[in-house]
Amino acid sequence: MAAVRLCRCRCRALLSRSAGALRARRGLAAGPEMHFGFQTVTEEERREKIYQVFENVAKKYDVMNDSMTLGIHRVWKDIFVHKMNPCPGTLLLDVAGGTGDIAFRFINYVHSVRQRQLQRKLKHHQNLSWQEIFESYQKDKFNSLGDSQVVVCDINREMLKVGKQKAQHLGYSEGLSWVLGNAEELPFDDDKFDVYTIAFGIRNVTRIDLALQEAYRVLKPGGRFLCLEFSHVSNPLLSRLYDLYSFQVIPVLGEVIAGDWKSYQYLVESIRQFPPQEELKAMIEDAGFFKVDYENLNFGIVAIHSGFKLHNENTSC
Amino acid sequence: MIVTVLSNPNHSRAVNCSLQRQHSQLPAGPARSGSQRPGNAPAARDAPAAQGCGPTAVVRCQQYPPLRALQASAALRGASDEHKKEPWASSSQQHFDSPPAGHQPEQKPQGPHPSYTGQGGQESEDYESEEQLQHRILTAALEFVPEHGWTAEAIAEGAKTLGLSVAAAGLFHSDGSELILHFVSECNTKLSELLKKEQKLVQLGEAEKKPIDEFLRDAVEARLRMLIPYIEKWPQALSVLLLPRNIPSSLNLLTSMIDDIWHYAGDQSTDFNWYTRRAVLTAIYNTTELVMMQDSSPGFEDTWRFLENRVADAMTMSNTATQVQSTGEAVVQGLMGAAVTIKNLAGLNQRR
Repeated sequence: MAAVRLCRCRCRALLSRSAGALRARRGLAAGPEMHFGFQTVTEEERREKIYQVFENVAKKYDVMNDSMTLGIHRVWKDIFVHKMNPCPGTLLLDVAGGTGDIAFRFINYVHSVRQRQLQRKLKHHQNLSWQEIFESYQKDKFNSLGDSQVVVCDINREMLKVGKQKAQHLGYSEGLSWVLGNAEELPFDDDKFDVYTIAFGIRNVTRIDLALQEAYRVLKPGGRFLCLEFSHVSNPLLSRLYDLYSFQVIPVLGEVIAGDWKSYQYLVESIRQFPPQEELKAMIEDAGFFKVDYENLNFGIVAIHSGFKLHNENTSC
Repeated sequence: MIVTVLSNPNHSRAVNCSLQRQHSQLPAGPARSGSQRPGNAPAARDAPAAQGCGPTAVVRCQQYPPLRALQASAALRGASDEHKKEPWASSSQQHFDSPPAGHQPEQKPQGPHPSYTGQGGQESEDYESEEQLQHRILTAALEFVPEHGWTAEAIAEGAKTLGLSVAAAGLFHSDGSELILHFVSECNTKLSELLKKEQKLVQLGEAEKKPIDEFLRDAVEARLRMLIPYIEKWPQALSVLLLPRNIPSSLNLLTSMIDDIWHYAGDQSTDFNWYTRRAVLTAIYNTTELVMMQDSSPGFEDTWRFLENRVADAMTMSNTATQVQSTGEAVVQGLMGAAVTIKNLAGLNQRR
């Protein structure tokens, strides 16, 4: 019975994915008909439904992440920030970063890099007078992040609320700001940010191409686009196990822990509907990014896509 | 180098990058030892493995098999041309640059690249390719090396001076390998130019031809002097160059430099001598470099004296080698003669 259900799900997935691909190939903007999990809905409906999904899960979001991925999502996010390798002075825009996981990791990373920098500077201060050392301490003490800043932007008010509470609880105060905004229409100026990240959020964006264009717009020349998202597992055996786990275990966990079967059913279905690695890479290149590549984590369960904005439309050197 | 950006990068990217190859205004390009993907047509980004990258790059390139076959083959044609002309192209590392277009100004024009928007695209001669931008960032980063070391921080500072975001340091590997390899290849190019100039002077009769040991000594000294501004952080660079990932590139750069020096020294051997000469000079160079690392004498006098002694040793060694060989032959002949004499005395030679 489970096998039959799985087959039906997969057939529907194949159908809707091929329909979506056809639409994309014809070059039409994803028309009024879109996918919401395995259902077909209009654009407006999709936005509303997704908003409701996250409104419902906001409070239990972190707990569910831990239980669904058995805590591995923390490792994924760590690897993600490590790949970013930010140096102090970086301005980060974390889109769909509701509960702030990436933002907090970014702050920790920059903080430790800054500490190392200060230590190295101290070593060179061996023959300064006490007065000079004291002054340099003063200057650097109030700059423990080295002017780095992270702006967390999310479309969902509930997720931002949970994020702010978490920040307060964990003691993150400086370098953090919370903005309500839509990834397809960011409330920021052009050429503002050094790094744009979107972790497990681009799947829920209704018009991915618009989001990528916005990302291109708000990044500085030389800025980096990073995207962490569930992706396509190519290994057939693993893929079957993964499907089994996704469709049988996760909604049940959702019901038991968060009391919400439907939202987690949507989640696993939306993973299947999302374009695979190569397609997303092509879309990122279409938005104008250079040196786009991806790195599979866990055989493709999760993939990190990275691209750079190398030129500005209006400058000449 | 003029760089202007079009208003429509998406449409014109493919064509412009290929044109940039022909019209680049770079000075004699620095020697590069590898290429990942000539960043011209968008398709080139999809088809890195097919373009004759070295074995180490293939492992990584195979992660994304080319989807756009048509464009891939067009890029292939272009890239393989470049590779054929590139004498020291070798296996590449992850984000290493490819030879810049300025190195081959007469490259034959490539056919119109099918851009994925299907448009012909405007032609612009000033569009900068990825590789050139990376090259510029690394060159700018070199001045921050004495302060930050050969790290991603130096690259980030370099990018900042060019007006790019510090995140552009993510274009390169985080341990600074590309920066070091870039620096080494720049030094090698400078050395080649220096040697070529000297050779021209000799040909024009304005300078005397130096004896071989003096020539080698001067060449190695000139090359090692280029390290002096970075001497504090050079041990770190040496250790990074010895990482397994970097060994193919660094070895390639080293051997091509030694080859260059011997070429300008007038070596035209075609026998085993070719190998021995290069091996000897490589040993001299490496040991002198190591001595220089811990030399604290004023003006590195100790290093230059060490170099002089090693070169002198090498010269006498070649004489000694021929002497040993002739002595050996003489000894063998003597023994043979003694054996024949004994046979005669013992009467074994007589026919019965």
